[in-house]
Amino acid sequence: MTETQHSDEPALAAATAKAARAVVGGEMETKQPAGTRARLLFRRILIAIPLIALVAWTVAPFLVTLSVSFKERAEVFADPSLIPSSPTLDAYREVLASESFTTSFLNSLIVGIGTTVLTILIGVPAAYAFARFRFRGRHLLLLFTLLPRLVPSIGLMVPIYRLAVVAGLLDKRITLIIVYTAMLLPLAVWLMVGFFQQIPREIEEAANVDGASLWGRLRYIVAPLAAPAMITIGVLAFREAWNEFTLVLVLTNTPGKRTLPFELYLMQGIEGIANFPGEAAFTILTVLPFILVYTRIEKYVVAGLISGSGK
Amino acid sequence: MTATTVSKTRGGGGKWWRRSEPPGRDNNAIIGQRKSTPYLFSLPAILLVAAILGFPVLYGVWQSLYRRPSLGLPAEWVGFENYADMFSSADFWHSLNRTTIFVFGSLILGTALGLFFAFALFRIVGKLRFLRAVTVAPYIVSNVAAAVMFKILLNGQFGTVNQVIEFFGIDGPSWLAKPALAMVTVILTQVWTDLPLTILLLLGGLMTIDRSYLDAALVDGATGWSRARHITIPLLAPQLLISTIWLSYSTLTGLGVVLALTGGGPLKATQTMAMEMYTVAFRNLEFNQALAIATFILILNALITLGYVGIGRRYEYDQ
Repeated sequence: MTETQHSDEPALAAATAKAARAVVGGEMETKQPAGTRARLLFRRILIAIPLIALVAWTVAPFLVTLSVSFKERAEVFADPSLIPSSPTLDAYREVLASESFTTSFLNSLIVGIGTTVLTILIGVPAAYAFARFRFRGRHLLLLFTLLPRLVPSIGLMVPIYRLAVVAGLLDKRITLIIVYTAMLLPLAVWLMVGFFQQIPREIEEAANVDGASLWGRLRYIVAPLAAPAMITIGVLAFREAWNEFTLVLVLTNTPGKRTLPFELYLMQGIEGIANFPGEAAFTILTVLPFILVYTRIEKYVVAGLISGSGK
Repeated sequence: MTATTVSKTRGGGGKWWRRSEPPGRDNNAIIGQRKSTPYLFSLPAILLVAAILGFPVLYGVWQSLYRRPSLGLPAEWVGFENYADMFSSADFWHSLNRTTIFVFGSLILGTALGLFFAFALFRIVGKLRFLRAVTVAPYIVSNVAAAVMFKILLNGQFGTVNQVIEFFGIDGPSWLAKPALAMVTVILTQVWTDLPLTILLLLGGLMTIDRSYLDAALVDGATGWSRARHITIPLLAPQLLISTIWLSYSTLTGLGVVLALTGGGPLKATQTMAMEMYTVAFRNLEFNQALAIATFILILNALITLGYVGIGRRYEYDQ
């Protein structure tokens, strides 16, 4: 087209390309003269370097931890290379056999699943009400959106501890489940409200005219459509319960009741000489459940992460 | 058929709650539902949030006006004495100083790395899937696990980072034993855990920039760094603002990384305000005094957040 005619005049070519892009709306393929191949290669490398840096920055901590977890205690210092010369599973055996890991893993699992279920059970109906119904209290939604920013867990630590002591609720998994659910609800509700508002209410009204009750509509129309958002909330809730450290630190104080982050924290302090392979294996085993399902849930993690920014 | 007629009678355009209601309907737009339903649906969430987030904070602020003369005795009303003590304590000012370094250090490093990586990812936006998964990975790691990972990565004797440094003939330092380097380590770890969101926010911003601005700059001869400096980064202002606020929230109120990595040491070099509050409450057992610090953190955080909301609104109206 016109572009090839003017390609010897760079400024004009750029201008035409811009015009063409404005018309076509897509990226125009521009032919590269053969002489620029070296420059192209140089550009490729220039693009690749920051990406390699990104991967290195993100993956390096995982890799070194994985490496140390396959070594023996003495070998960590004697042979600091990244690939263990004689890989061993001793650290994993030790961690898996220790009661601190098994009970805290179980606790984390129970608290995680409990938080996920409770958040969805309480959050989804509330979001539906905020999105669909007109009622006194709708304005509370705005407060809901601000709360997670205004009330960080550091501000809750002491008051919640004091209240839990008074109410005799220390060292109970149900306390953790309820507290984590409350911490996540504002975010979960906010996320779901946005989602419900995207579902055209005409669909529901049509079902209503066809005789579907409120529960029928929720069960057969709203729930299936809202499934992706509910999975996002579920992942978000489980992650919070699995990783939370600040509040479990004050809400539990006997060995059988702690969750994984608390036990991992204690593991660093107890032993005089640091048991690096043990800590590394513990860390890997803490992250592993997520890593195993990560490729499947990655987009929900991303959705949850972005909604967490408070937008 | 019925659906279309219903929606037509209700009229198109405008928000649904402003639409004129057809005759014979009650206030709630969907028929066949009781007045109590919305309350039934929303009350559990409202009550739970009020009980777990609202009430304890108010209780904490109220309790910060009390003090126990000694352990075991009932608390007495002391007005703002806890706050007066806080402002006259050298430890508090030290922790405020440490927090400032921690917050600004994390902000600068986080924003710089975030921009760098977001630009890098933007170049290959078509085949992003794998790299996005890698980018987000730190988000699934708890603060404590991240601290253990960095402790191993930066270990003075066998840490990989020191080995790389030694490869160039420089003796690697013991990162967590030196006060200044301990702060650097804490900042690195905090930024590592917080960076996924920063990158995604900035990348999202880059993807919404109107390409015609960039093309116009290209026509004017601006390329590479000058284009980024004068065109792209100013256009990213809203996203930069959000990520700045988010990073400052996360570092100002964050305790996990500092506690698990250094516990405030060495020589109180990483004793941030969150750490100071934890120490006063659970090591010195002066809960009411700690609540004064917590209230101070909450107010500081609220000021930042409300500032964000205000500025954020202005951006929304501009667009």
